[in-house]
Parts: sequence; structure tokens; C-alpha cells
Amino acid sequence: MSTLAIHPAPAARQLGLLLQWQFRRMSQFLPLLVVVQILLAVTTVLGYGLLVGTPPPEQALYLATGASTVTLVMVGLVMTPQMVAQARTEGSLDWMRTLPVPRPVFLGADLALWTLIALPGMVLGVVAGAAKFHVHLSLSPWLPVAAIVVSLTAACVGYAIACLLPPQVAQLVSQVLVFVVLLFSPVSFPASRLPGWLEHAHQWLPVQPMADAMRATLVSDRFTMPLRSTLVLAAWCVASLVAATWSLRKRA
Amino acid sequence: MDEVLVIEGLRKRYGAPPKGVQANDGVDLRIGAGQVVGLLGHNGAGKTTLVNQVVGLALPDEGRITLAGVDAVARPDEARRLASVQAQANVPITGLTARRAIDLVGRLRGGSRADVRRRTDHLLDALDLGPWADVTAQKVSGGVARLAAFAMAAVAPGALVVLDEPTNDVDPVRRRLLWAEIRRIADEGAAVLLVTHNVREAETVVDRVTILDHGRVLADETPGDLVAWHGADSLEDVYIELVGSGEHARDAAEEDVA
Repeated sequence: MSTLAIHPAPAARQLGLLLQWQFRRMSQFLPLLVVVQILLAVTTVLGYGLLVGTPPPEQALYLATGASTVTLVMVGLVMTPQMVAQARTEGSLDWMRTLPVPRPVFLGADLALWTLIALPGMVLGVVAGAAKFHVHLSLSPWLPVAAIVVSLTAACVGYAIACLLPPQVAQLVSQVLVFVVLLFSPVSFPASRLPGWLEHAHQWLPVQPMADAMRATLVSDRFTMPLRSTLVLAAWCVASLVAATWSLRKRA
Repeated sequence: MDEVLVIEGLRKRYGAPPKGVQANDGVDLRIGAGQVVGLLGHNGAGKTTLVNQVVGLALPDEGRITLAGVDAVARPDEARRLASVQAQANVPITGLTARRAIDLVGRLRGGSRADVRRRTDHLLDALDLGPWADVTAQKVSGGVARLAAFAMAAVAPGALVVLDEPTNDVDPVRRRLLWAEIRRIADEGAAVLLVTHNVREAETVVDRVTILDHGRVLADETPGDLVAWHGADSLEDVYIELVGSGEHARDAAEEDVA
């Protein structure tokens, strides 16, 4: 048996192998994770429904479409940092980083996994919302693109949080984000209901543009994606990708 | 002999003085192709910091690391292709069988499916992992998981193979099998850096011992020469003489006994 000359597999093959690795690693918990995401999406719709009773049509549209954004954002901003922080604590993330795999490939495999975990919850959340609030959906062909960009951006922000902050702090931040996203972000209600300063802050944060993107592609005959939201979301997507890749390259 | 790993004047500090720690303080180390070098030192001696800089996880403050002619500090991506690593921490293989994990790493490192399968079979057999080869990692003992992690580093070895405490939790019989595989990897031309607390392991497997203390190299010789020059009975005596009879040395000796 002779020593192999090390010429790592092409990036596409490495992506496939890493995806296989991550899926098998999570195979035990994958069904549970998917079920939790579905429950989160559906209970968000039903829970808000209990709070508001029978909402007027526009509010119903926000509630019905908000659950899909909440699911994608939660997976990216909450679950990703928790999983990555745990891997950092165990030391397994560092071992993965010693493999001869380009950082974007490494990131791509993780992001693909998180997106796939979020998808069932996203779909069922929309279905539940439409049924509960009798909303007529008009799906745009841009819906898959919007879902991927939202998921990618949220997961990259989560990744960067987990890699740059101490693991315990990252887990704490992710817990706080649950409340911020669910209760104080204009996802399931219009931004105009927020206090002025918070409404202004959300013009620069990624959650509102994410919700705008999902609404505009789920109910395309009633909502359009504002140019400002497109630009802010694009900026966050690029910046978070760069930050996540940089955080994986960073040497202590 | 071709030099695979050349470390010169390596310094790394965590935190600013006076509170910080000088983890590596002017470390020089050379490992040739086919050599096994044991890096010995008590907890906090700077071994893991040294390894982290070699494999691109930490950035030196000063000094040079050359890996098979590649500047590993300036080009960590390229250096990663040249080094395969068994980390001290557990590898993330929950949900995978040992066979699958070894196979996936071999193919990620560029091995063909057939070649990696052949190598995987060889390692499973050589380490006597057959009964656990197809059992998922969460159902096997720590020692078996450790052996699987070693096989993951050995299935497609680079020019340098870094093994950080490879025999932790491994039973005495399989420990010897693992030592034989380390020797085999070196005989095939790889340079092996073996980080260990286990003085007996160092005595048995390595060609040279580098003893690190407070980030500095105290000795870098063959085990036989070290024992002879110090007029000692064993490498363990030399180790304790060099690093002192203080708390650190007692800790290290206790770990060896354990």
C-alpha cells in the first residue's frame, strides 16, 4: 500500500461527499428536526390566529405568509449557530477544517442541508396559513430563488455568529434571536406597527427584506418586492457569505 | 533523507503580557520522509498549539513552517492537502459506520473509490476493527472510535501525518496494532508527527523524541541517545528529569500510568 499523492477530489464531488457525510451524521435526528420545523411553522400560524381572532384580509396575508419566513430564518439564525457552536465546543469543527476542502464547498454542504431541513416546514406553514386564514396564494416562479436566498442569508449570518463568538455566547444570542424574530420583526405583521426607531432599524436589518421576499413570491398578485428590500437583502446575502467564509478561514 | 516538515523559530502567544501565555517560544523542528517524531510534553506545554499552526488552524506570531516545500503559513490551503490529521478531539462520525467514515475521508482527499475501498479494508483488518466496521459510531466504545479516527487519517496519508494522542482509550492489544500501522505509514514515505503523553508509546514507535516544555524544545534526540546521555534507566526518567519533578511532571507521569 503506497502513500497517495494528495490531489483532492474536484469541488463538485467534494460537495456531494460532504453532503452525504452531513446527512448520515444527522440521520438519527433528521426526522425530529424536520418535525420540529413543521410544528414551529404550523403553530406560528395557529398561535397568531388565536391571538388575533379573525383578522382583516391584509393582516391575514401577513399571518399566512409569515410562517414560511419564520421557519427559514429560525433554521438559519437559531439552529445553525447552535449546531456549529456545539461542533466548536467538541472540537469536531476544527477537525473538519483540517480537511483539504475549499471553504465555500464546506459552507455549501452545510447550507444545503439546513435549507433542506427547513423546506418541509416552510411548505406546510404556507399551506396551514392559507387554510386557516382562507388566503388565496399566487405563487411566483421566483419563489424557489427567494426561499434559497432567505435560507442562505440566514444560515450564513448564523454561521458567522457561531464561528466568531465564543460558543456559549453564540448559543445565547441564538436564543435571543428567537424572540426578536418572532415578536419584534415585521414578518407576520406590517412594520408600521413597530415603534418608530425599531421600524427604522428594520429597514437596515435582514429580516424584513426576507419577509418581503417571501410575501412577494407567495402572494405575487398582492405584494411586490420593494427595490430597497431587494438591495438590502442582496447586501446582507453577500456580506454574510463573505463573513461565513472568512470565519471558516480564520486562524486563531 | 528529504525533509517534509521544517519548523523554524516558531512563536505563538495567546493574550497580551503579562496575563497571556507564550504557547510556543522559538520552536525548531524537522521531520524527514519516513521518520516518526514523537512530540512529548505535559498539559499546556504547547504541543497542540504547535500542531494547530502546522495544519492551518492557528497563525504563528513569528517563524516559518515549510511542509514538503510549501510555506504552510502563507498557503494554508495547499498545506492542508499535504497533511492528514487525527485530532485530539473526537471526529464527527455519529451516525456513520467506521467503514463509511474512512471511505468518505479517503475519497474527499482524492482517492479513487476502488483504491480507498482497498485501503479501508486493509486498515479495518490491520487494526482488528472488523466486528465494528459496520456498526454506527454511537454504538462503539471510545477506543474503537479512536481507532476509526486514526484510520481516517491513514487511509490517504499526505506527506505529513499528524496524530494527536492516537492511542487514548485504545486497549493494549490494538494499541500495538496501531503502532505497527504508524510504522507502516512511515515506511511508505510519510513523515509522522506523533503527539503523545505516553512515554512508553514514544519509546516504542518513534525515531526521535522532541520534548516540549513551556513552549520550548528541551530535547530532540533518539530515545536511545536521550537515555544514554542522561545516564537514565528509561525515557520516562529522562522526561521527568528534563521537565522537572514539579506538578506538571507528576501529572504527566500519572497520565502515563493511567
